[in-house]
Amino acid sequence: MTPPIRLGFAVKVLGRAGLKEHDSRRWQNNPHLSVSLAYLRDIFEYLRSQQITMYRMSSDLAPYATHPDMPQFHNQLDECAAELALMGNLAREIGLRLSFHPSQYVILNSADEALTAKSVWDLRVQAELLERMALGPEAVVVLHVGGVYEGRDPARERFARRFEQLPAAVRRRLVLENDDSRFSVADIRWIHERTGVRLVFDNLHHHNHNPDDIPLCDALALCLATWPADVRPKIHFSSPRTEMRVIERQDKTSGKKVETLQAPIWTRHSDFIHPFEFIDFMRTADGLRPFDVMLECKAKDLALLRLREDLARYAPDLAEHIT
Amino acid sequence: MTEQAATPYTPEHAPVLVAVMNNRFDFERARDEGWYRIPLKRAPRRIAAEYLAFYQTGAFGDEGCAVNYYAPVRRFQVVPRADLLPNEPDHPRAADMYYKIEIGPLQQLPTPVTSPRLRRVTFISTTLGRLLAAREVNDLWQRDDVQQRLWAALREAGLLAEYRFQLGEPPDETLIDFALFCRDGRIAVLCETTPDPDPDLRERRPREYDLMAGGWQVMQFSAHQVNDDIAGCVDRITALVQQLGGQPGEQGDERPS
Repeated sequence: MTPPIRLGFAVKVLGRAGLKEHDSRRWQNNPHLSVSLAYLRDIFEYLRSQQITMYRMSSDLAPYATHPDMPQFHNQLDECAAELALMGNLAREIGLRLSFHPSQYVILNSADEALTAKSVWDLRVQAELLERMALGPEAVVVLHVGGVYEGRDPARERFARRFEQLPAAVRRRLVLENDDSRFSVADIRWIHERTGVRLVFDNLHHHNHNPDDIPLCDALALCLATWPADVRPKIHFSSPRTEMRVIERQDKTSGKKVETLQAPIWTRHSDFIHPFEFIDFMRTADGLRPFDVMLECKAKDLALLRLREDLARYAPDLAEHIT
Repeated sequence: MTEQAATPYTPEHAPVLVAVMNNRFDFERARDEGWYRIPLKRAPRRIAAEYLAFYQTGAFGDEGCAVNYYAPVRRFQVVPRADLLPNEPDHPRAADMYYKIEIGPLQQLPTPVTSPRLRRVTFISTTLGRLLAAREVNDLWQRDDVQQRLWAALREAGLLAEYRFQLGEPPDETLIDFALFCRDGRIAVLCETTPDPDPDLRERRPREYDLMAGGWQVMQFSAHQVNDDIAGCVDRITALVQQLGGQPGEQGDERPS
């Protein structure tokens, strides 16, 4: 029997007050990965209580671990070997699928060699965290291609070249996502064909940036096909934010700050997932291989819980197969 | 050595875990060696914090039944008990795993946070702002607006209530919103507050049947009742307290089973 489709959310927990996602103390107060892991343990207990089985961890779990001028933070992973193993055990006990999505400052195809080197360091730490938790190949680090710089072709060429130069442990964990303005599904497919990197389909990005007019279902299918048969693919799903945007500007004559309203931008995430869009999407995907869904929305776990309720009400046939 | 809390790093919202200190050996370890332990099997649902504070039990004499000290958390480790306490290799739980929470120097609270009714305390998650402002243990809990109103009204009426009174042990404990101990019985006040209450608290809400089977008189109030007629809610509680012989003095409380 096929395991149910997991729904997940990213990083911040809103459904229980006071749960932090990492040790955010400044360096002067000696933050530590072990404290972040204690926070993560509390989050895992919350996920268990809500039967949520997919979660994106904070990329800042190991504070200052790759800060070049703070060597006192560089050994945190070694120092937390036992605690990381324990968290891995807990994740397996709960059946949690875990991932990272590094910040926008991690750019593998950067034209700046120093920035690339720092990015590789960050990726190594995140891959090693997953490795030390002894998580299976479903636990991945999701990355975008990066900048266009002198042109899209050389930029994706550079990504492919640098991907192949990564340590094997990083290559095993790294997966590539289409973005909303620079590198489309067609672009990441090009990189996949050269490197074998697995692809993560993002529905909103695809709607916003699909210069090759690849139909949604085809784009989804080609991304899913990049995953090995024994590893459940994952995708990102979000709904566009439709509210007016409140923009603060300085009035030229009075010098005072004034708020103006502007029309929405469709790349922004909504608070909750639009249930009818989600249902339509899942029906479009009917017949494709099963995948898990990371929800990207501002209401985080609250949106996930609400979507479950919505599915039970509006699409009970789908709700049966989604957890 | 302990330090007076003169100019510590004290962000108001920093999470604090209040843990129980029930013997002098553990206190000396915390003070002199800088660590505290919690067995993994009995760890509370929320363990992570930037500060650890200690509720000292009656074993500490004049300092007992109060939170007097807190310290910044440095690190969490997971180790077997035998490594933590090598002088007790034959202890029945020697192989059990424990959280070893490493802490900085103990800092003394400006004012002890007392437990006026010698309340049984296990773990409480709070914030540094609440800890520093608290007068008694009940003040450590974060209350929503409705519960805060009821709490204040009970106090104003001269009723002694315990907020989030714990039944059972972590991780299977349940919490009574307000527990009142009377000479001839005890009252559990359950307060349904917000439309979307904390799911963790929802899970830990005791069942009315279990409470009644355990000898509690149960009263339930909705947010609507508290908001619209708080005086009526307090009157009903007061009447039941009187039916149950009134409340004893601070030192003569009946301990829960």
